[in-house]
Amino acid sequence: MQLVINAFIAGSLAALIAGGLAFVYGILGVFNLALGQIALIGGYTTWWLYQVHSVPLPVSIICGMAFGALVSWLIFEVFINPFYKRHRFLPLVTTIALSMILDAVILMVFRERPRSILPGVKEQISGFGITISPVQIVMICTTLVFLFLLAYFLHSTSFGRKIRAVTQNDIAASSLGIRSGLMHRIIFIISGVLAAAGGIYIGIDTSLTPVLAFSLTIKAYAAIIAGGKGNIWGAILCAYLISLLEQFAIGVHWFGTFYISAGYQQTVALLVIILFLLWKPNGLFVSSSRKA
Amino acid sequence: MLDVKGLSFSIGNQPILSDVSFSVKEGEVIGLIGPNGSGKTTLFNVLSGFLNQTSGSITYKESDITNLSPYKRAHMGIGRVFQNFGIFREMTLEENVQVALEALPKNQKRELGDLKKVVKETLEIAGLQDSAKKKASSLSGGQMRLLEIARTLKSGNNLFLLDEPTAGVSPKMTNQIADMISTLKKDGKTVLIIEHDLPFIGKICDRVIVLDVGHIVLSDTPQNVKQSKELQEIYFGADPTT
Repeated sequence: MQLVINAFIAGSLAALIAGGLAFVYGILGVFNLALGQIALIGGYTTWWLYQVHSVPLPVSIICGMAFGALVSWLIFEVFINPFYKRHRFLPLVTTIALSMILDAVILMVFRERPRSILPGVKEQISGFGITISPVQIVMICTTLVFLFLLAYFLHSTSFGRKIRAVTQNDIAASSLGIRSGLMHRIIFIISGVLAAAGGIYIGIDTSLTPVLAFSLTIKAYAAIIAGGKGNIWGAILCAYLISLLEQFAIGVHWFGTFYISAGYQQTVALLVIILFLLWKPNGLFVSSSRKA
Repeated sequence: MLDVKGLSFSIGNQPILSDVSFSVKEGEVIGLIGPNGSGKTTLFNVLSGFLNQTSGSITYKESDITNLSPYKRAHMGIGRVFQNFGIFREMTLEENVQVALEALPKNQKRELGDLKKVVKETLEIAGLQDSAKKKASSLSGGQMRLLEIARTLKSGNNLFLLDEPTAGVSPKMTNQIADMISTLKKDGKTVLIIEHDLPFIGKICDRVIVLDVGHIVLSDTPQNVKQSKELQEIYFGADPTT
């Protein structure tokens, strides 16, 4: 049971980032490999405002998400928009380069020391064989509310329907009078907010270090490949499933003889990517359509 | 209503459209025919703003639309039906129509009144009212085509660019599509249709424009075009009378 709770805690973080990544892939067919860095930028901004400048926590969190959104929008304008129409793999190169630059900048500004938004020992609640902190409960619930609001926005509002239309068929959407260029920017901003929320989540739950970005991006990739490329809800569900697999991999006493070291936890995401690309490259939740 | 003057489009050094000029009067139904690779779909892409012409101008309702983006042209009442289905497969049929109506300029939306009612009417036109809650990906190719045409028809457009509306469609559905286009004609709408089905073109068009390797080679009534040597040469490689 504790493994499931741990999976929920880790999965909520991965779901936020994978959701944003799936969005971006769905609309432009390009991968933004700097999304993990946007998550860290959101987390570090919140830490800097709250811990260094004593800005109230809710304001720091909002500013962290807003800054993540701003960075994501700038990434779109400078590193993706000028390139993706020429070739869909070009943004892969530009965002890899950007991720390296951002890694260096984050390391230079915030140093390698772990930074926690809420440092110190967190209060734990135990019962029914599980242990969880109230902060973690708040974060899981906040993520679920966040995802629920996103679902409502996408499926029950006119604006959300337009975003989904652009995601599914950009050209047809433009021909109906939808401003697809504007929608692209909004989607990047939403993906930035989701990623920054993920970074803030890490900073509150544990601590931020500059080396985290790559593992966040890889896990999000595993989730969108497993969920069906561009399928935001598939990606979010798979983010939870991969977290569950990770927890089982390192938490089970295998054959009663050995444990897998926690250092191998990230390998699960990589294995998921390899296995899905080999046997189910379209993912779990890609919808089938009639041929005639 | 539509004036195209000296329109050219090239990819690198390869010309796809060369000095294409024609005018379309309000209420006309015009067929655009020509062999594969003659530039028909490219012409539609330039007219609807998805490709930028190398040279030339496009005037629609006395406004120069040459450099307008596709969504602005759509707001001016230019509707497009795509060769490869312009529908949103992961949305329900209802949502497919709803999103098109919601994308209309505010004044047009007000004129339409109750959008839910218009959505229902649109699905009835396509004969798909019983599948309103189903995903569009569950439809057959012909049904997708009907949904797309009905949606374009109800979106308050004045100029319709239909790219092979009967491709891969059963004879029964072809008749339904012909009926829809006849309704547009009766309502005084202007239609440009790309088609390979010559009897279909002959039945519904006022005029036919024949395009070959990016040039307009003929523009005449369907009867005259059908009997012309140029058409025989373009489609069959030689004049069959010789």
